[in-house]
Amino acid sequence: MKTDARSADPRRLMDIVHAALFEEIPFNVAVIDRDYNIAAANSSFTDRFGDWRGKKCYEVYKKLHQPCDECPSAQVFETGKTIVADAVGIDQHGKPTHYVGHVAPLRLTEDGPVDYVLEMTRTVTGTRSWQQEYQILFDRVPCYITVIDKDYRIVRANEAFRHSFGDVLNRYCYEVYKRRKSKCPNCPAARTFRDNKVHNSNQVGTDRRGQDVHYQVTTSPLARSGDQVGHVIEISTDVTAVRKLERDVVEAERLAAVGQTVAGLAHSIKNILMGLEGGKYIVSLGLKKGDEEMVNEGWEMVERNFAKTTTLVKDFLSFSKGRLPQLQMVNPATLVNEIVDLYKDITAQSGITLRSEIAEHVRRAPLDPDGIHTCLTNLVSNAIDACQMGEQKGSEVVIRVREKGEKLVFEVADNGCGIDYEIKQKVFTTFFTTKGGEGTGLGLLTTRKIVQEHGGKIVLESEKGQGAHFRMEFPRKRLMTLWHEGHGKQSSQKKQVRS
Amino acid sequence: MSATVLIVDDEPDVARYLTMALRANGYTAVTADSVEHGLEEVHKARPDLICLDIMMPRQSGITMYTQLKNDKTLRSIPVIFISGVGHEDPWDFRSFVPDESIPPPELFLEKPIDAELFIESIEQLIASTRGREGGPNK
Repeated sequence: MKTDARSADPRRLMDIVHAALFEEIPFNVAVIDRDYNIAAANSSFTDRFGDWRGKKCYEVYKKLHQPCDECPSAQVFETGKTIVADAVGIDQHGKPTHYVGHVAPLRLTEDGPVDYVLEMTRTVTGTRSWQQEYQILFDRVPCYITVIDKDYRIVRANEAFRHSFGDVLNRYCYEVYKRRKSKCPNCPAARTFRDNKVHNSNQVGTDRRGQDVHYQVTTSPLARSGDQVGHVIEISTDVTAVRKLERDVVEAERLAAVGQTVAGLAHSIKNILMGLEGGKYIVSLGLKKGDEEMVNEGWEMVERNFAKTTTLVKDFLSFSKGRLPQLQMVNPATLVNEIVDLYKDITAQSGITLRSEIAEHVRRAPLDPDGIHTCLTNLVSNAIDACQMGEQKGSEVVIRVREKGEKLVFEVADNGCGIDYEIKQKVFTTFFTTKGGEGTGLGLLTTRKIVQEHGGKIVLESEKGQGAHFRMEFPRKRLMTLWHEGHGKQSSQKKQVRS
Repeated sequence: MSATVLIVDDEPDVARYLTMALRANGYTAVTADSVEHGLEEVHKARPDLICLDIMMPRQSGITMYTQLKNDKTLRSIPVIFISGVGHEDPWDFRSFVPDESIPPPELFLEKPIDAELFIESIEQLIASTRGREGGPNK
């Protein structure tokens, strides 16, 4: 075989390679003897730690005057085995330097003792800082972060999560979050495992003290693009305090409504008392004058107002029936169509046009269908009365349902006689009626009560002679809070039954 | 000449009661069941005093009151508001009538009204108005 003129002797070649490796390898390489003297070091080491000749390793690495407490080299001299070590030293400019690498034994004779150790370290100061920042962020961010594997076991959890839920590693997420024995229905992590996409969800869990925790969770896939999702990261924000504030607001509104209701009831009773007072006066006047007709007239007035009392009490009892909205996921358009069906004959007979306007994309919502039915019935019935009182022709009542930002909106509008500014001020706050002796004034009050129980509000826009426009607005966020609360209650009731 | 009192109230029993009380005490009573009819009666009967309910269909007593006080020829007629909303209730005249140029009513009577007190109040108000204007008493 012909040999190339420039081919080197193999041993010589290896020496060249070793020398090149020693210098060019992107590591700090140092050779240390048993007395901690640095016997050799490459230029990368020299650049990092400065001049090393005639110095001990601890002087160069850490600017110390005696060996380090846990010296990896000493360990290798003792065991004769390669180890991986990491440490913090001080570079030639006095700056802390994180480094990590191999410490390997070097023997001058094949079976002899370890004469030197070869330290090959890589500076990781930048990476280590980043890791520390990441760790702080992971632990201190004011939300829960967990990483779960395909079996739904928690493989990582941040400090906030461990604080609320305790020691959770290797436990099933459903067991930790919800004290369940099996995977939750509608699990957002399962969806992420399935489709490799980010999902959001509102959940109620139980912390280690047994308290309900409301949280909004975002699940993200942990996978290289195109790969199957191996883990899912769950980031949850604890919104328990926010939910409590929302409940407090609803409760405050309920209490305010109770106060106004009591005032309204007093107003209504006073009107009846006035009728009774009048009847009594007329009876007394008739008796004084010996006028039997007058006595009869007065007595009839007493009887009439007595009957009104009975009606008021009945209506009031029905109004005050304390009941939380019985929420069901319903299509709002269906509720509107039911009302149109209910009133179409009555309106047609009175020459009033009744129609519905259902916007596109109206989403299903958690509503009490009976409650909303009552509200719409009251508003439509009032609108029909207003049209009958008005003098214009072409009367019309329109029921609308639409989405307005994050709110579900029902509207009942008429072009009847309209409502005066002053009456508008009172329309929802007293039992007042503008139907003479016929109404008890409870219809709108009941409507407002139901709307508020749904976390919504009712607004009236009206100009005298221009018709009235009632708008019931239900913030979807609040509806969902009530919905989840209702579900939470149901599950805690089940828990009680089980216990 | 007996004084004339206009009662504007949509509640027939209230109107009847006050009418009987007024007539039994020598007054002439005229009634109207709405603001529209009330304003017609004001011009027709030229009452010495008006008893005005607040909550009525279509237009409220406040609207009628504002119209009366904005009319130079009717402004001096004393008005008694009669309502189920009492002083202790959250009823504030200025929240309904923010215009400071419109004075508050001469009197506010809270339902139910005692007939004797009602008549006394009417007598006093009419007497003071007529005294101011130098006219005859009832």
